[in-house]
Amino acid sequence: MTAFENKKAENIFLPREAVILNIKETSQLEKHFTLRNADASKMIFEPGQFLEVSLFGYGEIPIGLASSPTRENSFDIVIRTVGRVSTAINQLKEGDSLYIRGPYGNGFKLEQLRSYPILVVAGGVGVCPTRSLIQYIMDRREEFKSFTLFYGTRDPSQQLFLEDLKQWRCSDKVEYYETVDKADEHWEGPVGLITELFKKTSIAAETRVIICGPPIMFKFVIYELDKIGIAHNHIFVDLERRMKCAIGKCGHCQINNKYACLDGPVFALSDISNLEEAF
Amino acid sequence: MNTYFIKESDFNNFIDNMLLQLPVIAPVLSSESVESFFSFEFLKNHDELRLDYDITILPPKKAFFPPRQVIIEFSHGKFHGTVNAKKQVLLGVHPYDIKAIDQTDFLFTENYEDINYTAYRNATTLVCSNIQTISKRAFWGSISHDVPARGHDAFLTKLTDLNEAEEEGYLFEVFNEKGHELLSFGQFLLATELQIQQAKSINESIKDKCPQQLNYSQDEMANTICRSFNNTALWDELAQDCFSCGSCNTTCPTCYCFNVEDSWNIDQQSGQRTRYWDSCMTEDFAKISSADGQSENFRKTTAARMRHRIMRKMVYLNDKLGTQACVGCGRCSIACTADIADPVNIIKRIMEEAANDSL
Ligand code: SF4
Ligand code: SF4
Ligand code: FES
Repeated sequence: MTAFENKKAENIFLPREAVILNIKETSQLEKHFTLRNADASKMIFEPGQFLEVSLFGYGEIPIGLASSPTRENSFDIVIRTVGRVSTAINQLKEGDSLYIRGPYGNGFKLEQLRSYPILVVAGGVGVCPTRSLIQYIMDRREEFKSFTLFYGTRDPSQQLFLEDLKQWRCSDKVEYYETVDKADEHWEGPVGLITELFKKTSIAAETRVIICGPPIMFKFVIYELDKIGIAHNHIFVDLERRMKCAIGKCGHCQINNKYACLDGPVFALSDISNLEEAF
Repeated sequence: MNTYFIKESDFNNFIDNMLLQLPVIAPVLSSESVESFFSFEFLKNHDELRLDYDITILPPKKAFFPPRQVIIEFSHGKFHGTVNAKKQVLLGVHPYDIKAIDQTDFLFTENYEDINYTAYRNATTLVCSNIQTISKRAFWGSISHDVPARGHDAFLTKLTDLNEAEEEGYLFEVFNEKGHELLSFGQFLLATELQIQQAKSINESIKDKCPQQLNYSQDEMANTICRSFNNTALWDELAQDCFSCGSCNTTCPTCYCFNVEDSWNIDQQSGQRTRYWDSCMTEDFAKISSADGQSENFRKTTAARMRHRIMRKMVYLNDKLGTQACVGCGRCSIACTADIADPVNIIKRIMEEAANDSL
């Protein structure tokens, strides 16, 4: 270190402004924001990476990017009303600003997915960070082999991205299966746990699998994948943790000796299956 | 750089002259009842300085990583960082704490440099001093003892046990420009070879005087602790009386976890984003909440948290740091009301259990 000299390094905690272009209410709890950097710069990221999103006076929360980097003019995030910060953000209007840091973390390794059959298993809000990958695959469909998507929620009211769902149901780019744990009077689709969907189609052993959802879901899905014989280094999981700093310092996201914010949030299952704190 | 000597009779002047020019943070007596308690504070005059302290309640890292630190100020939709580091001297830091600072220097710089730490660290002249009194729970003689203390700019050793003919005073080793700048504040003489040797033997001989000892190599400890990860009964036993207060983290010189929180000023238009020390031993540290009041705590039990703390001190960071993330200061041992935080007892218990298992 040089004597008495303040380094000119950037202050990594300073966010930058992003303007809200569009807000969609995706369910009673979630809002879907389309944003653009206030300085009009492009957001460069890979699917699976996340942002620290903040509102001054309320605080900062980690949020996965929910759109594909192939959609260049804007980027999406989905905010679920949970605590102080998300409640405040979900009261904003179009034209208001949010403050962001990032993108951070390791996303889905596209080079490990290209030219293979792909299965995405998304449970509940787990569809948000995977939507980035789903959109990417849809946009660059020719780079991948078959593409299957499983989406499960607790009940129909929990389904997100309703417009996307409509499109996925009839698209020939994706083999889409959905289920709810509990139906309501309007639901005509399948009822049951997400693992039931494995009965509806056959998944090849060379498939690359992406799982994102509540911790409880992982174990059951992995159990099904093991039956098919999918290697654990071909299974990628997106883990949710309390990522407070996103830069490997604050300690909050640690899973044994790994940091979700630096080493993840996307991990190859083979890299973490020996970590007791992972699931 | 050179090695100097300053006479006892000139020492107070040195401190006072320095105080005229620079803020100095140094050990002072903070309370005295049955025992004396010391803390690092901004020094007002030479009288307060207590280089004979045994241990301070909080570690000196607070000079650049304060318990609460405003990192951003905001007002009416505008915001700015608050880094504004001024030259200061941190004096009287014992070698084990120097090692801890060396660790946080690395950790706040790797991957992403955090100038909210490094700016203050770089603006600080760090003066190590020899240990004159040994704390009752110290075990720095047998942990992280293979790595040298480094990163300090100067080293002050009080020369003791001298012959009558020899002058009382301090040896002052200067390692770089920052250390060198302090020479202008005092009457320094070039040290004699004898004085240099005396200081060396003072600092050498203290190494095996700790009241507590661990008789294992770093690898032995790391491997065995790592292998004990799934011994749930053992961790339950070790954490049994823990009430998750987090004092063992707060007092630790190598702990650097933090949380960040926003707050408003009374005008409700302006406010600040503040980071503050956090503790992995507290209940909510690894908890995330989801909608409708549901939550997931990735380290639910005191045992899981105790295990994480010990893994972090003894295993996880070793490769990165080249040493354990415990420097044997014994502050956690003193701070824990239940007296279960002492790494010496914990490690001995783990090693003993592992030895029994392999019988
Ligand atoms: S774990 Fe305890 S003994 Fe080790 S450095 Fe931290 S406070 Fe000191
Ligand atoms: S080990 Fe002791 S100091 Fe640490 S959290 Fe538990 S009771 Fe508090
Ligand atoms: S979010 Fe702070 S260390 Fe990962």
